Amino acid sequence: MTAIANPTFRQTLSAMLAETRLRLLNITRYPGQLMMEIIIPIVFAAMPMLLGRATAGADAEANFRANTGTANYVAFLLIGSNAFTIVSNAFWHIAYWLRFEQETGTLEAVYLTPTSRITLVAGVSLYSALRALTTSILAYILGCLVFQVNPLQGDILLAFLFILVGLLPLYGVALLFGALVLKVKESNALVGLMQWGVGFLMGIFFPVVALPPLVRAVALAFPPTWMVNGVRSALLGVGFFFEKWYLDWAVLWAFLLFIPLFSVQVFHRVENGVRRNAGMGEF
Amino acid sequence: MTPSNQTTLTGLSAWFSALIAMSRKELTIMTRYPVEFVASFGQVFLIVIILTLAGLMFSRDGVRSPGSSNTAGVVVYGFILFMFLSDTLWTIGYNVRREQKQGTLEQLYLSPASKTASLISRVTVTLVWTGLLSIGSSILMSAMIGRLPFNNLPLGALILILALSGTFGVGFAFAALTLRVKEAGQTLANLIQFAFMVICAPFFPFAALPEGMQTISRLIPLSYGVDAFRSTLMGYPNGFPELAPIEIELVILTVFGVLMPVLGLWLYRREEDRARRKGSLSEY
Repeated sequence: MTAIANPTFRQTLSAMLAETRLRLLNITRYPGQLMMEIIIPIVFAAMPMLLGRATAGADAEANFRANTGTANYVAFLLIGSNAFTIVSNAFWHIAYWLRFEQETGTLEAVYLTPTSRITLVAGVSLYSALRALTTSILAYILGCLVFQVNPLQGDILLAFLFILVGLLPLYGVALLFGALVLKVKESNALVGLMQWGVGFLMGIFFPVVALPPLVRAVALAFPPTWMVNGVRSALLGVGFFFEKWYLDWAVLWAFLLFIPLFSVQVFHRVENGVRRNAGMGEF
Repeated sequence: MTPSNQTTLTGLSAWFSALIAMSRKELTIMTRYPVEFVASFGQVFLIVIILTLAGLMFSRDGVRSPGSSNTAGVVVYGFILFMFLSDTLWTIGYNVRREQKQGTLEQLYLSPASKTASLISRVTVTLVWTGLLSIGSSILMSAMIGRLPFNNLPLGALILILALSGTFGVGFAFAALTLRVKEAGQTLANLIQFAFMVICAPFFPFAALPEGMQTISRLIPLSYGVDAFRSTLMGYPNGFPELAPIEIELVILTVFGVLMPVLGLWLYRREEDRARRKGSLSEY
């Protein structure tokens, strides 16, 4: 057997895609889980929708427009709940990645293979993004149809641009968080808390201007906040943070260039530290 | 083994002794995960504030809305009841499944300890923790969005106890189902939980549901628990309770709280006997 000291780009890509294929194959065995991922965002968005309709009555649309910039609260809330699904998937799949390998008994194999962990985590990220995007788009369309709203309004292409550029820094943040999980171990509790924390900061069901100034400043440091607002502005015209779409998009690009590289560095440092202290195999 | 120098407990004292010992075991497991304690509190607080802020987007003045205490009341009290009910409804069955997975269910059944105490101990510690979470999140919410409407505490507590008693019964029945359907029980639990979130309306008034759905809500005793609990604590504002006059809701809840545990326990014992006869108790 020949050891691969410096794999070529083609070999790295092949290993990454193999990891993605493995995960995709695995999830096709659980169609019920995928169905739930389509239903959950719709039910979740229905909660505030029903609450708002009941409390505001005929003024629901007008009040919502005054507070958020659009009267289309169905699409606004569905975008929020589906973005939450994408963010949750990123955190669960990436931050929970090594834990998953531990649980399935394949962690040792991962560390014995010559493939870099970053290649494998990139494969997991691709799988996670494909899965989240597919279920989210289906959930958005189905949700709009259930609540009788046109799903094909606004600038759909621009919305996709915001999602695609926003995904990479999002997975970067998730990897950063994965480093924390490696250290603290209690992945379930931490990931659960983090997904709601990010959901809150990105304005899952409300615009971030509703948050106090200090919290808003923290929210704006998170790529998902820009991604969600970009999608809402493209589809519903709620208004970009910098008024022009390309300025908001540029901020996402800045995140894209900085966060993944920073996260990889931090992850390597933490991973090496944990391995030196023989803590990687601890369950 | 000679049991001569051991005190043999019988009757009620044996039952309580088993309950305390098993609850202590659950508490010991919980204390091994301190981050989970902190995280669960943060999570509850975040969920409540997200839903409250979402509700406020529909009010005239948004987050500065002065008349938002009823919205906050509906969300906070609904969420508190939802947390308690989730504990009792799913945790018992989930824990039975966990014992199966760990391979300790058979040993548990070979011991002479009460099976009822074993089932109740699964949620005793969780209920105390949920109670503390509820108090904490209510205080924090009051600090953030103004005073929550808070009335008729004794009656509210009675309604909570009756609803919990009834859901203990449903929890026993669900544990019986878990013994029968095994892993599929978890998916079923998820599905029922989402149905509960819509039909029993813990996060919004029943008036928001379409007419047909409201009819289904009226057929489920838990809906009366949600309605009576929040209406009572909110001091019966205009339009509350929504499903029936409070006296009728109390009668329904009393019947539910008294009969359901008996029925649930009967179902569980029946399923347990079946599993033992078939030898499927430890099947995983």
